[in-house]
Amino acid sequence: MANHEDAILKSELRWGMIVGAIVAVILGAILYAALAMHINPPSNREYVDPKTLHLSAEFTETNLGTRVDPNGQIVARVIATQFEFVPNCIVLPAERDVTLRLTSPDVIHGILVTGTNVNTMILPGYVSQVHTRFTKTGDLLMPCHEFCGLGHSQMMATVRVVPPEQFNPGPDGRIACGNHR
Amino acid sequence: MAENCYPAGLHDYASDAEEMERLDEALDETPRGALVVAAIAVALLIVGWLGLYFLVFLPRGTVG
Repeated sequence: MANHEDAILKSELRWGMIVGAIVAVILGAILYAALAMHINPPSNREYVDPKTLHLSAEFTETNLGTRVDPNGQIVARVIATQFEFVPNCIVLPAERDVTLRLTSPDVIHGILVTGTNVNTMILPGYVSQVHTRFTKTGDLLMPCHEFCGLGHSQMMATVRVVPPEQFNPGPDGRIACGNHR
Repeated sequence: MAENCYPAGLHDYASDAEEMERLDEALDETPRGALVVAAIAVALLIVGWLGLYFLVFLPRGTVG
């Protein structure tokens, strides 16, 4: 029986080494994605009063949508509310760093942008912020992916990714789907 | 043939020594098959994970 126990011990050690190698490969892949490809979970912690969003400096109705800040940063601000996104279409350029800033005045929502790694929850009281860079142009669907009530399935928006040369904001730095066809 | 209360065929060894010998033979073969099954299952899992990682996750681009 001792021979069998030795053999089993050897096979278990061998198996342990294989599993260790697999864990090392997966951890290496995760670190490579994080450090070399800059793919990380969005982790912004920023508070906002959900009761006064419409009075806040940033999320007033006139400040929503895409805007190129004076420092060149491209930021799209969106409010997710039962059961729509305001605005429900945003224009962003491909191949440039962009920032999405979202918040909710009512319940927990969430977004993903199809075909990209953009994916975050939107909680009332917090500003969700996602930095990304779109590589393909076209209209991408941005549905709510956190059940938020009876109209949840109808809650979706469009991210219109345009070639950089077609991304021409107005003098105020703003650009919207309505004036981009 | 040792007398026992088991049905014929289940425990019809001549002696304990013979039983141990047959047990040894069985144990010689058993782990190999189990390892092959486990290796195939783990290989499929890893291939699927790496496939999603390289073909779906990385091409979807930077986010943070």
